[in-house]
Amino acid sequence: MSSRSRRPLTPWMFLAPYGVAVLLLIALPALLNLGYAFTDHTGLTRDPRFTGLANLRRLVADDFFLDSLEASLFHVAVSVPLRLLAAVGLGLLLAAPRPGGRWFRVAVYLPTVIPDVALAVLFLWVLNPLYGPLNQLLGLVGHPGYTWLAEPTTARVGVVLMLLFPIGEGFLVVLAARRLLDGRLYEAAALEGCGPFGQLRRLTLPLLAPVLVLLAVRDTILTLQVNFVPAYVLTDGRPANATQYLPVYIFDHAFEFSGFAYGALLTIVLMVISAAVITVQLLAVRRWRVLR
Amino acid sequence: MVPTLVAALFAAPLWFMVVGSLRPAGLPPPRSLEVLPPEPTLDAYARLPELIPLFRYLANSALVVALAVPVTVLAASLTGFGIRLLGPVARRRVVLGLLVVLLVPVTAVWATRFELFRLLGVVDTYLPLLAPALLAVSPFLVLLYAWSFGGVPESQLEAARLEGARWLSVWRRVALPQVRPTTLAVAVLAFTYHWANFIDPLLYLHSGDRYTYALGLQFLRLLNPTDWPLLMAGCVVAALPCVLVFLLAQRILLNDDPLAALRSGGRR
Repeated sequence: MSSRSRRPLTPWMFLAPYGVAVLLLIALPALLNLGYAFTDHTGLTRDPRFTGLANLRRLVADDFFLDSLEASLFHVAVSVPLRLLAAVGLGLLLAAPRPGGRWFRVAVYLPTVIPDVALAVLFLWVLNPLYGPLNQLLGLVGHPGYTWLAEPTTARVGVVLMLLFPIGEGFLVVLAARRLLDGRLYEAAALEGCGPFGQLRRLTLPLLAPVLVLLAVRDTILTLQVNFVPAYVLTDGRPANATQYLPVYIFDHAFEFSGFAYGALLTIVLMVISAAVITVQLLAVRRWRVLR
Repeated sequence: MVPTLVAALFAAPLWFMVVGSLRPAGLPPPRSLEVLPPEPTLDAYARLPELIPLFRYLANSALVVALAVPVTVLAASLTGFGIRLLGPVARRRVVLGLLVVLLVPVTAVWATRFELFRLLGVVDTYLPLLAPALLAVSPFLVLLYAWSFGGVPESQLEAARLEGARWLSVWRRVALPQVRPTTLAVAVLAFTYHWANFIDPLLYLHSGDRYTYALGLQFLRLLNPTDWPLLMAGCVVAALPCVLVFLLAQRILLNDDPLAALRSGGRR
């Protein structure tokens, strides 16, 4: 039993606990979803019966599901570009060392460390039509304000607005990635008369492209998923299903309406959407030659 | 100028939270934006423990955090060290695998994961709340450790091995002491995650006396949906521990050069 023969095993022993956790807590539940989706399981009894494609037929005829899908896609389409723009813009703006620069970064990061329930309750106050600071702020410029969470469109905008604040993870990644870029490239570019915007367009953005792709995909999936808490606390899917995002709908079926099996099928739909996004990401990353 | 405006914009909601919590209850709607509270009072904070079992909830949250943060740090650092020991090809594959895990939404597994815990009979205990900790909360934290351990020289690992140390003690005695800033940063991020965790307590905790504070805040909102000073005071209580703990780690995570600060062995 020499150390030489044992050695190749060692890294995998350190990785094993995490691997087991991934198998038991992610892979196994994901597989179980596939099984439960074709049963009549309610989540209350112990013996689900196989019902074939009954859930799938129900899904195709489910108008609430269509509302939910539309709400989710609207949210992702509006929220992800704005969040990405904010994270990348602020990351690049605040990356340069300057006196006290860290405190500006702290201010941008702080909303991210606020628990999301607290942030949601805070936004109930911020968006309150009578007392809320946002309408008071609009009042300062002579605008009458909105009844934010009572109207379908403004309710969706309210959720998007709230999720524009916790962007710390992407912000942090951009800060770190920007530091990895070679300073000499920028000196050379400056010598050749390339201004700040030229540097941004010709150096920074192309060099950061793989990171940006990863952030975009991560944020798409995070946005599909994390909008559960704001929607649950702010609006609970109302008004008129406008914020009945897929996670809210899945939660309602799996845990409130005893439609566990139908929830499992909805979950698979959500996973298919995620898988499609991952595919696009891998293709895009391959294009930028990170995988080699 | 622009950075100041940006900082003010991001701090504004938090400022409104504090100002809102200091407002006396039952005032009519303000005529204009209140940047400072009129007649500030701590009355809302005094009413909190009268309306909900505040200290019970806070103690429950503290218990969960005390269990979950060490588990998270352990999971992230062991896995990160494992990645450090891999050869370049295997390392790239594992990192790609982690990025795939990063992309799996929690919602994709929450219902069936609940079913597993239900069959194990541990619903309404704190055990399911430790599940995210076993997964190191997010592959992001594993990658932080993997990056930092990358700065530990191969020669030191070899030397410790030649002296007959087991890999586990190399991890503990040689590698971990060199990445203390990372451990602090990971512990802080894990704290904010577990303190804020809302979905898992919502699914798994059914008895009111086991609620964590995040769940208690939602309960407070259902009880008093329009008592804004009270709700804002509840938000301040939820946010304050996270903000204070985060301030410990900001000099590392938000450093001019965060990647170097993570590897700096606690000297900075």
